[in-house]
Amino acid sequence: MYARLVLSILILSVLGLSSGCAVNRATATISPDSDMSKVKTFYVVQQPKDQRGIEKLISDNLAARGFSARSGPETPTAPPAIDAVVTYVDKWMWDITMYMLELTVTVRNPTNNFPMATANSYHTSLTRKSPSEMVDEVLTNIFNAPAKKQGE
Amino acid sequence: MKQMKRSQVPLYSPLLLLCACAALLGGCATGASHEAMVPPTVTAVNKHPQSVSVEVSGGQETDAMGKSQVASESFAQALEQAITQSQTFARVAKGAGQDYKLSVVIAGIDQPSFGFSFTVKMEAGWTLRRADTGATVWQESIRSEYTAGAGDAFAGVVRLRMATEGAARNNISQGLSKISQLKL
Repeated sequence: MYARLVLSILILSVLGLSSGCAVNRATATISPDSDMSKVKTFYVVQQPKDQRGIEKLISDNLAARGFSARSGPETPTAPPAIDAVVTYVDKWMWDITMYMLELTVTVRNPTNNFPMATANSYHTSLTRKSPSEMVDEVLTNIFNAPAKKQGE
Repeated sequence: MKQMKRSQVPLYSPLLLLCACAALLGGCATGASHEAMVPPTVTAVNKHPQSVSVEVSGGQETDAMGKSQVASESFAQALEQAITQSQTFARVAKGAGQDYKLSVVIAGIDQPSFGFSFTVKMEAGWTLRRADTGATVWQESIRSEYTAGAGDAFAGVVRLRMATEGAARNNISQGLSKISQLKL
């Protein structure tokens, strides 16, 4: 009886833990009255800790969408003739190999750093995506998110 | 079927049982509660006699197997309560008829996965507009953080929720403090 109880709890705990292995989440939020259709030129700020070149993937993806985009280190003031500054946070996890667990991209107003739009993708190991796929998913969500008017 | 006697159960079974229970309980995350996100005090320089409506977006619901999140509705409730308590505005209005519209976009919450002390960082974009003209009166990105130590709670999920609530609480406190400094 006792052994069965132990076995049942172990099975339940394995089920409980493994259910977290296929979590998918993709969200996007556009600040009220932010008009993403007016943003044509982007500057992607490289995160100092990022050695994987995610900033390049983001700027390449933006360029493939027809925007003018370049990347580089953070500067005290935004580069001239920029409509938006893009920052990102990438989180990685190990499961047999390293994979990108979560990517958050924020599009900011270059004058006051205000977040105009932000999107996030989260895929655990079983549904992992390549970094370029994660970047594409996040940016697609940003540009497909409906623009919202204050009070709507 | 041969029944296993109590004495035949391996000695490590209680340990396995404990680990299994801890694993199960450890996964039960709950969202940040609006009561815990209300700052106890807000330094209000000016108490504006006008009314305001509140709108929050960018929050996320908490998945029981994930990390504690801040829901937009909970943050809005906490913000409304904080405005009322601090008297930053005379009244929080629902629907039409307010003097100002305050919108907050939760742009990011950075949470650790492991550790004894959990430091959660939060960024939210705050915008205050006149309701009649739609003119932006004030706009700022506010960053806040809070650390919950090992002494605050034994369970990691609870500690993480406390740190998340603390970061949200500090964000509301900073935001309202800045609004109170405005001359409306």
